[in-house]
Amino acid sequence: MGALETITQKIQDKAKSLLESGQAEVVIGYRKGSTPLVAAPYFARTPSDCENLIWSSFAKLNLANYLPNRTGKVALVAKGCDARSAVGQVTENQIPRDNLYLIGVPCSGLVDPAKVAAKEGRPIQKATETDETITVSGVGFEVEIKKAEVLRRNCEVCSHRSPTMADELTGPEAPAAKPDDFADIKALLAKSPSERLDYFQDLIKDCLRCYACRNACPLCYCPVCFVDETRPQWLGKSTDPMDTMTFHLLRALHCAGRCTACGACETACPVNIKVREFNRVLDKAVQENWSYEPGLTWEQKPPLTVYQPNDPADFIK
Amino acid sequence: MTEYIVKEDALTAFFQAIANGRRLLAPQGQGENCRLEVATGPVSLDYGNTHLSPKATFFPQTEKILAYHKKADQPKYNQYQDLGDHAEPTVIFGIRPCDAKGLAISNKVFQNDRFTDPYWKGKYESALKIGLACLNPSPQCFCAAMGGSPFGEMGLDVLAYPKEKGLGLKPLTPAGEELVKAASLPSADLASEIKDLEKKAIEAQGPLDTYQIINERKIMELYKADHWSATAEPCLGCGVCTFFCPTCHCFDIQDETSEAGGVRMRNWDTCMSPLFTVHGSGHNPRPSKTERVRQRFMHKLKYIPIKQDGVRGCTGCGRCVVMCPANIDIRTVAATMAQASA
Repeated sequence: MGALETITQKIQDKAKSLLESGQAEVVIGYRKGSTPLVAAPYFARTPSDCENLIWSSFAKLNLANYLPNRTGKVALVAKGCDARSAVGQVTENQIPRDNLYLIGVPCSGLVDPAKVAAKEGRPIQKATETDETITVSGVGFEVEIKKAEVLRRNCEVCSHRSPTMADELTGPEAPAAKPDDFADIKALLAKSPSERLDYFQDLIKDCLRCYACRNACPLCYCPVCFVDETRPQWLGKSTDPMDTMTFHLLRALHCAGRCTACGACETACPVNIKVREFNRVLDKAVQENWSYEPGLTWEQKPPLTVYQPNDPADFIK
Repeated sequence: MTEYIVKEDALTAFFQAIANGRRLLAPQGQGENCRLEVATGPVSLDYGNTHLSPKATFFPQTEKILAYHKKADQPKYNQYQDLGDHAEPTVIFGIRPCDAKGLAISNKVFQNDRFTDPYWKGKYESALKIGLACLNPSPQCFCAAMGGSPFGEMGLDVLAYPKEKGLGLKPLTPAGEELVKAASLPSADLASEIKDLEKKAIEAQGPLDTYQIINERKIMELYKADHWSATAEPCLGCGVCTFFCPTCHCFDIQDETSEAGGVRMRNWDTCMSPLFTVHGSGHNPRPSKTERVRQRFMHKLKYIPIKQDGVRGCTGCGRCVVMCPANIDIRTVAATMAQASA
């Protein structure tokens, strides 16, 4: 049995025992998608539901997104980044620690369907995977692709692939990938303000304001998002580029120091915008200023959400 | 009406002849990036479907309707300045039959015996629509299951299909006949070939026979079924399904004002957002995603068929199936609706 099957089996066994013992009322995990290269969110409530739970390198959404406002005990199938998001939600008081059980999956990186499509242009009708490869097939073709060549860009630079905060790990810890060195962000920040503006304006030129990035994001749990406020209405509803830019900039700032680089925003975006570029600028700033990475302890709150009397900055005193 | 043939070496002349000084929109780019745009490069004939549906051509995501001016020294002071109806004579080549059908469904919403929407009407009626039939439907396609066909004719003036690196053409309306005649093409009897190709393309799609059951079940039986909470649970509440849908046509009117005046515009809206139904009082008749998701599928599969003589509000283009970040697949939902108990 490969690692994927072993993890799937362990998720199913654990989910069953949590539901049977009443330690969880629902297990949020993934099921096989209805289309190729997709694993979809799945909510298991009975032991027999658990047979539908799987692990796959197509499990791209961050399931911590489903935690806020949930009552009752919940177990979450979580890869490294998702577990950190869930921990963040506990530190931000979105779910009580006692209501949460983390079934941690050591992750070896997820596959980016856009990269697969770039390698294989023909319509893909079926996709299967082993630990190292995926096989895609369609009318008159079958092609094997190495996963390492088609990983999502956030998975290529992940330094926390194993969810060390999890209540249980479904396999041996996964070796960390090389951390994000922000080389491209450093080059971008060395440019003039107008060049940087050009870069970000070009980045979001196809944005439809569908808000899939926001709604897929486990950090975006505000009861009413500022873009949806009507009294007063902060932001226009049209495709005006300034309104669209305001949405992306403000959302990024709201997420500063809280983003775990899970990539759910980019996965959800239907027009392939690299939404994380905004957050990577802020990730870099937070790491440099406060040596902080979110979701690694149950206690520490994100630096921009707290005030401490010994704050070195003068403006706040 | 008879059919016509465009040989490979006559394609460029054909596109010039049908444009005849008008704006020509045609598939540009390959694969996932294929878009129906003003044709500046070669016209693609080999693509699944365009990334976005062509609805924005007739129903832009943002459409400015009017402006008003509040300063006495401005020329249009105290008058409405009409900004709407940017119609220009257009020929569209390469609409897929599912999308043409979706536009025809929206057309009945924007133009009927009660209302005429001037902004839609101007653009929709000044466009001649040449469809491109699908010989090899994509894996996510299910138009036949929705009562359509890869060679569907609804909402089109001419139906084209790829034939020996050129095209076969079947005019469907007098305007379409005139358009094709202007290109001076050799005629041919293609009826039996079209019938065979259509049969083959339909067989390439998986069967889906749940829609007859939905048709027969009562509205309240479907509405009160016990699955909606579970069906909606994975939904993120984003607007991807509605923005990519060729039949979704809901909009929101907004005024953007300043001291000097303002602009009234209409923007695409989405029933997946709580804001779509929230009242001025703060009350929301669709307070959770369960009600919102139910509305979307009931609208597509039950309410529109009732209002439009059995024509379903989903045309089986498959965009929402592929684009939904949570993989809420309308084919699965339809099967659940057909089976679920109240």
